[in-house]
Amino acid sequence: MGAYESIEVSASALSAERLAMDTIANNIANANTTRTPEGGAFKRQLVVFAQKPDPTTSGGGTTSAGFSSFGQMGTPDSVMNDDSASARAGVEVTQIVQDQSPDRLVYEPGNPDADGQGYVHYPNVEVVKEMVDMMAASRAYEANVTAIQEARTQGNTTLGLLKS
Amino acid sequence: MGDLSFGPTIGMLKDAMHGASETHGVIANNIANINTPNFRRSDVSFKEALAATEPSDGDPNELALVTTDDRMIPIGGAQDVQPFQVTTTVDSTTQMRVDGSNVDVDQEMAKLSLNSSYQQTIGQLLQVQYTRLRQAIQEQS
Repeated sequence: MGAYESIEVSASALSAERLAMDTIANNIANANTTRTPEGGAFKRQLVVFAQKPDPTTSGGGTTSAGFSSFGQMGTPDSVMNDDSASARAGVEVTQIVQDQSPDRLVYEPGNPDADGQGYVHYPNVEVVKEMVDMMAASRAYEANVTAIQEARTQGNTTLGLLKS
Repeated sequence: MGDLSFGPTIGMLKDAMHGASETHGVIANNIANINTPNFRRSDVSFKEALAATEPSDGDPNELALVTTDDRMIPIGGAQDVQPFQVTTTVDSTTQMRVDGSNVDVDQEMAKLSLNSSYQQTIGQLLQVQYTRLRQAIQEQS
């Protein structure tokens, strides 16, 4: 692992968390949007985080799939040697999916978007939930910034060996 | 093991530095995947490997005779010196979150900070070693 690869790992998380925050901002912005190009109310969007696949080996180097159920203690399932980089490949957003939960129905017979019974389909966005998600993304972002700062400190320590 | 002409300390410190850098990468990856469902955190162990690079018996400053056959009699210094290797282990023993991930951000941040201090300590020790070498080369008092 090179001196600054760990910064790239943290940087991948920074962009992923930022994308998550952008998505949340879009959800909040469209919390009351009843018309979309696809027709119908806006659907809440969710980002899907996944561990980045290991670029050095073909196939899935990640071990995220086989997790045991609650309360079940396993043993460390794999030991990798120094060359394996799957433990430090970073994170990525693999897709942005739509939340399929039902729309919020509000009785507004005067609204032009009301259906036959006078109900308007509002987006399934809950602003409080979005705020909580945004805080989680924000804290994760901060944690990764700290990791980058520590990496820089370590790099400076190493470079400092040339001085004095 | 380092260059014997400069003593074993620098080589060992170099290995420790390498280990600290690897540890940082793995902790950074754990933190990067805070929000990844079903993610399993990884651990690095190199301190055992570091201890194994130390010569087990004999004077470490004494040059060892290389033995290429079992019937040869080993003489002097470092025997059974293992090459330094960093091992990364996926920790699947703990389960603490509903989404299947076992990353605890507080723990990871503490480890990050600890590893940083460790690396800086090693850096200072290396600097002392280099200063001594320089003094010896320049005949400073």
